[in-house]
Amino acid sequence: MEQYILEMNHITKKFPKVIANEDVSRNLKKGEILALLGENGAGKSTLMNILYGLYKPTSGDIILEGEKVVFHSPKDAIKHRLGMVHQHFMLVENLTVTENIILGEEPSKAGFISYKEAIKKVQELSNKFQLEIDPLEKIENLSVGLQQRVEILKALYRKANILILDEPTAVLTPQEVEKLFTVVKSLVNNGVSVIIITHKLEEVLEVADRVYILRRGKVVGEKKTSGVSKNELANLMVGRDVVLTVTKEPKQRGDKPTISIKNLTVLNDKMLKAVNNVSFDVYPGEIVGIAGVDGNGQSELSEAIIGYREAESGSIFFESQELKLNESQSSNFLRKMDRFFFNSINVKDRLEKGISIVPADRHRHGLILEMQVAENLILGSQPKNKFWKNGILKWKEIYKYSDELIKKFDIRTPSSKNLVSNLSGGNQQKVILAREFSKNLKFALICQPTRGLDVGAIEYIHKRILELRDAGYAVLLISLELEEIFSLSDRILVMYSGEIAREFVTDRTDQMEVGFYMMGGHKTKREA
Amino acid sequence: MKLSRNTLFTILSLIVFAIGLTLYLGEYFIGLLFILGSIMIYSLSSYFSNNRESFIELLKSKAKTIVYPFIGIFVALILGGIIMFISGYNPFEAYAALFYGAFYKNWSTSVINAVPLIFTGLAIAFAFQANLFNIGAEGQYYVGAMVATLLGINLNLPSYISIPIIFIVSSAIAGIYNLIPAFLKVKTGASEVITTMMFAHIARYYSPIFIRAHGGDPSAGSKHPYFTDKILDSNCLTKFKEFLPKSDYRIHIGILIAIVVAILVYYILYHTKLGYDIRAVGKNVNAAKMQGIQTGKVIFIALIISGVLAGLSGVIQVTGLEHRIYQDLNAGYGWNGISVALLASNDPIAVIFTAILWGALDSGGQYMQRNLGVSGAIVEIIKGIILFLVVARYIYNYFYNKYFKKQVFVSPEERV
Repeated sequence: MEQYILEMNHITKKFPKVIANEDVSRNLKKGEILALLGENGAGKSTLMNILYGLYKPTSGDIILEGEKVVFHSPKDAIKHRLGMVHQHFMLVENLTVTENIILGEEPSKAGFISYKEAIKKVQELSNKFQLEIDPLEKIENLSVGLQQRVEILKALYRKANILILDEPTAVLTPQEVEKLFTVVKSLVNNGVSVIIITHKLEEVLEVADRVYILRRGKVVGEKKTSGVSKNELANLMVGRDVVLTVTKEPKQRGDKPTISIKNLTVLNDKMLKAVNNVSFDVYPGEIVGIAGVDGNGQSELSEAIIGYREAESGSIFFESQELKLNESQSSNFLRKMDRFFFNSINVKDRLEKGISIVPADRHRHGLILEMQVAENLILGSQPKNKFWKNGILKWKEIYKYSDELIKKFDIRTPSSKNLVSNLSGGNQQKVILAREFSKNLKFALICQPTRGLDVGAIEYIHKRILELRDAGYAVLLISLELEEIFSLSDRILVMYSGEIAREFVTDRTDQMEVGFYMMGGHKTKREA
Repeated sequence: MKLSRNTLFTILSLIVFAIGLTLYLGEYFIGLLFILGSIMIYSLSSYFSNNRESFIELLKSKAKTIVYPFIGIFVALILGGIIMFISGYNPFEAYAALFYGAFYKNWSTSVINAVPLIFTGLAIAFAFQANLFNIGAEGQYYVGAMVATLLGINLNLPSYISIPIIFIVSSAIAGIYNLIPAFLKVKTGASEVITTMMFAHIARYYSPIFIRAHGGDPSAGSKHPYFTDKILDSNCLTKFKEFLPKSDYRIHIGILIAIVVAILVYYILYHTKLGYDIRAVGKNVNAAKMQGIQTGKVIFIALIISGVLAGLSGVIQVTGLEHRIYQDLNAGYGWNGISVALLASNDPIAVIFTAILWGALDSGGQYMQRNLGVSGAIVEIIKGIILFLVVARYIYNYFYNKYFKKQVFVSPEERV
C-alpha cells in the first residue's frame, strides 16, 4: 500500500441551502503536486477550507500522517504543518516582507523582536527554496507575483509541509505564472507536498502529477496527468445533467445591430487590462451569451458598457451613434466640469438612451436593500417621467406603479412599502427584472440573472428573458452557468482572459466544445 | 364628500396642534390640552374613516421606532437612580426635582436649550442619511454665529428685510465653509470626519479673534473683551412675550423656526428627488451609481446642506437669545447634536423631541443641583447611559441574529 501523507475520507459538508461537498474522498502523497479541478461552485474551495480548519465538515474524517485530526481553526491546521495561500492575499501592505512573514511568530529575545535573526531566517528560507526576495522591501512596493511569493514564504516559515494554493494564477501575468510553477516544482523537490485549486486545464497538465475533478460537490474523476488529454478533463468538468428546459422558438434577428462594440479595452481596479480589444455586435431580437469562467473580464465589460467604469480605448456604437467613453470627451463644458469636480460618469445618458442592466451582484449593484420595494422599483428612472415633477416625488403614482409591477412580475411581498432586504433572493431578483424590463429599453445587459436562485425562480426568469428577445429587443447575457447560456442564447461568445476566444452559433456547437475554450484549451502555449 | 371631511379634520387638528404647541412652548401649560385635543381629533377622524388600516399600520410602525429610545431612557433613569442612591442621595426626591424643573418650573430654559440642538441635530442627521458624518457641525455653528453677529451689528434696515438677509447670508456662508471638505470627499475620497473636524477647530479658535475685533466697551476700559457688541435691536428675533405676555422673557420664535425647518428637512428627504437620491447614496452608493445617480454631486450637496443647517443653529442663537457672541459660548452644540441625531435614528421629526429631551435634562439638572445639591453631573451620566443603550440595540440585534434567528447562509461560492 502506498504511503499517504494526507487523506480526506467521505467528507460531506452541508450548508442550510446547499450541499457543498458530498462524500468526497481524496488523498495526497508526500512530495506530490495535486490539482483540484472544477468549475465555480463545484466545491473546491469549500473542501480546502475544511482542510484548513475554516469550516467543520458535517461528516467525514481528515487523516494526517496516519492520525485522525480535527481542526477547529486555521491555527490548528498551521500547527499540523499545513499552509494555505489564499486567492486574496492576507498581507499588511505597509510592513516589510520580513515583518509580514514573521507576524505572529516573531523570533524574540527577552520580549524584543530580533530583526537580525528574522531577516537571516527569511533569507535562508528564500535561498533554500529559490524564492528570491528582498526581505526589507515594503509589501506595497511589490508586484502581485512577489506578494504571492511572500505568502508562500510565510507558510514555509511556519514549517508547512503541505501547501494549499487557492487559484494561484488568477491574479498573475503569464510570466509570473511560469515563475510560480518553477517555485512549486522546487518546493516539491524539497519535500513539500502541494495542492493547487484551479479551473484552468492547461495549468493542471503543466504542473500537477495527479488531478481530482469535482463537479457539483462530488468527485467525478481522478486522473494521472500523464496520458490524459484536455478534452477528457473538460468533458468531466462540464458534462452535467440537464435540469432546465425552456423552449425557444427560432426568430429572425434584425438587420442593424442595436449595439456594436469595437476594439474595447477596459482596465480593472489594479490598472491591468481586464478586457482586451474586444469587438462584437448584438442585433435586435437575439440573445448573445457570453460564456466564461469568473474573472475573465466579464464584469469589467458589463460595467464599461453601462458606463459605470470608464473604458480605456475603443468605441461603443448604440443604434449607429457613438457613445462617449467618458465625460471628458463631452462637448458640453458644464459636463466636463462635472466630471472634473464630482467624478461624474455617464450612466444616466446610457440609461436614457435605452440600455438597461441587471447587475451580476444584486446586493452590491442592483438593489438598495434598506429601501422600500417601491423605491427600488423607480431607481434609475429618468427625469421626464410620471414619478416626479420639479423635483417633488409623487408617491401616489409611485405606489400605483409599484403595485402594478408587483402583480405583473409576481413579486412576493406583503406590500410596496416593505424593505427589499426582507424579501427572498428570488423575489429580490424579480424586483430588479421588473424595474429593468419595464423601462423604456432597447438593449438589455443581463449578468448572472439566476445566481443562487432555486429552480422555479430560474425557469421564470429564463422565460422573461426569452420574452424580451421575442419582443424584438437586443439582449446580451453574461453568465457563468454554461447551461443557462446554452438554453437561452442564439449566439455564444467565449471570453477567456479578457479576450473573445471564439464565437459559436448555439445550434452548431455543444457544451464540450465551448467548455474547452472557456478553460483556455485553445491556448497551446502561453505567450511569454 | 367623505374624503374632504377627512381633510377638513386633518387641517383642523393641525391648526389646534400648532396653537397648542405655541402656547405650551410659551409656558402656557393649557397648550397641552390643545395638543391632546388635536391628537384626539386626528385619531378619531382617521379611525372612523375608510383608511383605518393604514392608520393602524402607521401607529404600529411608529411604535416600533420609538420603543428602543424609550426603553433606553427608562433603564438609564433606573441606573442613574442607583448611582445616586449609592452616592447617598434620595433618587426619588432628585428625580422629582429633575422633572419638576425640566418640564414645569424651568421649562423655558429647556425650550431655549433645545433650539440650537434641533438645528445641529438636523445637520448631523441629514448628513448621516447620505452616510456622511459631519462631525464638524460645531465649526459651522461658529461660522454662522460670527457672520450673523457681523451683519447684526452693521445692517441697519427694517427687521423684515434685515433678518431674512442675516439668515440667508450667514447660513449660506456656513454651508460654504463645508465646501473644501465636500470637494475633497468627492474628488479624493478624503474622509469628511477628519476634514470637517479640522475646519471646526479653525472656526472655534478664530472666534476669540473675531470677538476682539468686534467688541469691547471703551467705557469699561477693557482691552480684552469677552463678548462682542450687541447686535441692533431691529435684527433680534421676536420674543414670545410680545404675544404671550406671561411667558419667559428669553423664549424667542427660534423654536418655531426650528420646528418648521425640521418638517422641511423631512419633506426634502422623503418627498423630493434630491432626498431620494441622498438616501439611495447613503444606503448603497454602488447601486445608486449603477443606476445613473451622480453620486459625487449628491454627496457634495448633502454636506453643504448639512453645513447650512448647522450654521442656522448659530444664527438663531445670536439673533434670538444671546444677541452677541460670548467668548465662553462653548456650549458644544455641534457635539451634542451628534447625540441628538443618534437618539433620533436620523429622523428629522424625532430630532425635535430628542433635542427637547436633551435640553430638558440640562435645565432639570441645573434645577436639581440648585435646590437639592445633587450634582448636575448625574444628568450627563444619564445621557451617556441613554445613548449607550440606544446604540446598544446593535448589540442586541447581533446576539439576536446569532442565537435566535434561523440561520440562512450558503457556501462561499454560492454567496451572492
